[in-house]
Amino acid sequence: MSETVSESVSEPILEVRDLHVSIADEPDVQIVKGVDLTVHAGEVHALMGPNGSGKSTLANAIAGSPAYVIDSGEVRYRGEDVTTLTPDERGRLGMFLSFQYPTPIPGVTMVNLLRMAIKSRRGEEPSAREFLTELRETLQTLRMDEDFARRYVNDGFSGGEKKRAEILQLGMLKPELAILDETDSGLDVDALRTVAEGVNALHHPGMGILLITHYQRILNYIMPDRVHVLFDGRIVRSGGPQLAHEIESGGYDPILQELGIAVAAAAS
Amino acid sequence: MSESTTAVAPLHAEQAVLAAAVQRGEPEWLLERRAEAARAFAALPLPTPALRPWRYTDVTRLDLAAFVPADTPIAIEGGADGDAPDGDAYVGTLSGALEGRRALVAERLGALVPATEGKFIAANAALWSGGALVHAPAGHAFDEPIIVTVDAGELADAAVHPRLLIEAGEQSELTVVLRTRSGDAPLLAAGVVEIDVAQAARVRLLIDDRWGAATRDFTTIRARLGRDADLRVASLAIGGAILKQTVEVVLEGEGANSSIRAVALGDGDQHFDFVTLQDHVGPRSISDVEVKAALAGASRSIYYGITRVGEDAAGAEANQQNRNLLLSNSSKADSDPVLEILTADVIRCGHAATVGPVDQDALFYLQSRGLDRRTALQLLVSGFFQSVARDLAVEGMADDLERTVFAKLARAVL
Ligand SMILES: Nc1ncnc2c1ncn2[C@@H]1O[C@H](COP(=O)(O)OP(=O)(O)O)[C@@H](O)[C@H]1O
Ligand SMILES: [Mg+2]
Repeated sequence: MSETVSESVSEPILEVRDLHVSIADEPDVQIVKGVDLTVHAGEVHALMGPNGSGKSTLANAIAGSPAYVIDSGEVRYRGEDVTTLTPDERGRLGMFLSFQYPTPIPGVTMVNLLRMAIKSRRGEEPSAREFLTELRETLQTLRMDEDFARRYVNDGFSGGEKKRAEILQLGMLKPELAILDETDSGLDVDALRTVAEGVNALHHPGMGILLITHYQRILNYIMPDRVHVLFDGRIVRSGGPQLAHEIESGGYDPILQELGIAVAAAAS
Repeated sequence: MSESTTAVAPLHAEQAVLAAAVQRGEPEWLLERRAEAARAFAALPLPTPALRPWRYTDVTRLDLAAFVPADTPIAIEGGADGDAPDGDAYVGTLSGALEGRRALVAERLGALVPATEGKFIAANAALWSGGALVHAPAGHAFDEPIIVTVDAGELADAAVHPRLLIEAGEQSELTVVLRTRSGDAPLLAAGVVEIDVAQAARVRLLIDDRWGAATRDFTTIRARLGRDADLRVASLAIGGAILKQTVEVVLEGEGANSSIRAVALGDGDQHFDFVTLQDHVGPRSISDVEVKAALAGASRSIYYGITRVGEDAAGAEANQQNRNLLLSNSSKADSDPVLEILTADVIRCGHAATVGPVDQDALFYLQSRGLDRRTALQLLVSGFFQSVARDLAVEGMADDLERTVFAKLARAVL
């Protein structure tokens, strides 16, 4: 699976090298067992795989979650080794994770969070006017009501609202790497289209996207350059967009059966 | 018993108390009460940890003689002027009301909090000076908050005795803000606040504690609520070495409604101790207590609260919550909410207590957005306090709390 010329000349945004990840509270339990992945600027990579295969663990480890331990391997962001950086250092560099299960933060409004996050990222408080204009535009792109931003972060949000709120933050923070962990789940068809269109509008040639999903559905709206299948902590297949369609029509089983045979054959 | 009874310092003795009162020109009836209070003070022991409300705040070794009773510096702004033409409304010092409001003060002062009840209360009754009286006659509404400031910034090794008497007549409305400040020198404060909320009256009391680092404050606040009366107390505990605040509400009238909210933000060796009582006497009375502490450094918070629902309080609703956020490894919190239900006919009676570190998922979430750990904690704590801050309807107070959280946690040991 060689990469095309246009891909290899653009800047690598995310490079994951032979990454092994365990659970911090249960160090004997390794979830990610050697993942290699490179996302270049401008690209969208879809990471698919059945529930429990380790997609969220990989995403959280890339973002620096203290709930996980990196046993070996490295994570590079725009050429820099970020494996040992704190989550906030990674965030300030321009890495962004849209959480599968965004945490409620009672008492903290979205506006307040956004202001402080932008201040942290840019090193200075945005002017109130500039901030409001940006906020309004982003809300509009995502077809979100203005008073949404005055609510407490993820507190009492419906599943769909949480996902939109994540993309709202993506739009305001303008990262160069966006990891979208099941941003499509819990959304009805209309909301899915809105969110997907929002992501497309926010995507720019300098940004790489790692789109985690276990349905092909969202890939009808956001066209991936590459598709990877994660199973039991390893990427067991990579391919072009057609791989997603294969999964859509046949599920994971045929792929895994095929691989099971292949793995057994290789071992014997 | 004899061990915990301290020798009476000369200035707490009956003779000295009376001499000071005479010098202030106080009327005869008050002199008698001063003498009685001084005798109670001499007779009463300091509370010991054997008493449940004092279990975690041991004052038996507090040397009261080390704190010289001083005039309590008190400033009162807002509301109407004392003796304004608007009916009988009064806002001013208690000492200034001894003549003009003699009947009211003589009847109500010490009615809810009798001088003989405890050591610190007796000290206050014997030694309060200045004081504040807020009286809203029936139907009177003070449009502006009344700000009572106790600023002991100039005092050292002194004892002050803030005394507030709040009388809200039927269907009246008022808001009092009590601000307390002091310098870095050792100071003892023994305060008493009495609040009478008559039928359908609405009273808010906001307590903004910014005592200096070596102040020890032991204050009792007690309120009686008539039918359909409404009382909201919101307390911010920011300063001081020891802050022990007892807030007791007797919901006497049918449909009376009270809310007690407090937040404490601790660092260093600060010690906060809240005691609450929601005493439901009247039927269909409603009460709500929410005490929240965020603790950095080696600070500590104690909560002991009783919800009592009496035999006649059918249809009562009560809620009692204490939440403690430990921001450091050496901070500590003890929590003990108690229910005493004497009627079967209670609509809802809940209590909850939590002690624990900040939600690690929330911390990671904020950090992933680029906020460093300290900033993320500042934001989480100000969010945590939001449920109380919402109640601080006095202009600027909620914003001020947020600024204070950020400023204090900028230096705190987390
Ligand atoms: N913090 C954790 N504590 C315990 N088990 C975990 C934790 N995180 C992930 N796991 C386990 O690791 C496996 C992979 O989970 P996850 O990465 O969430 O998978 P996916 O996102 O692909 O559905 C699951 O078996 C899950 O239960
Ligand atoms: Mg997942």
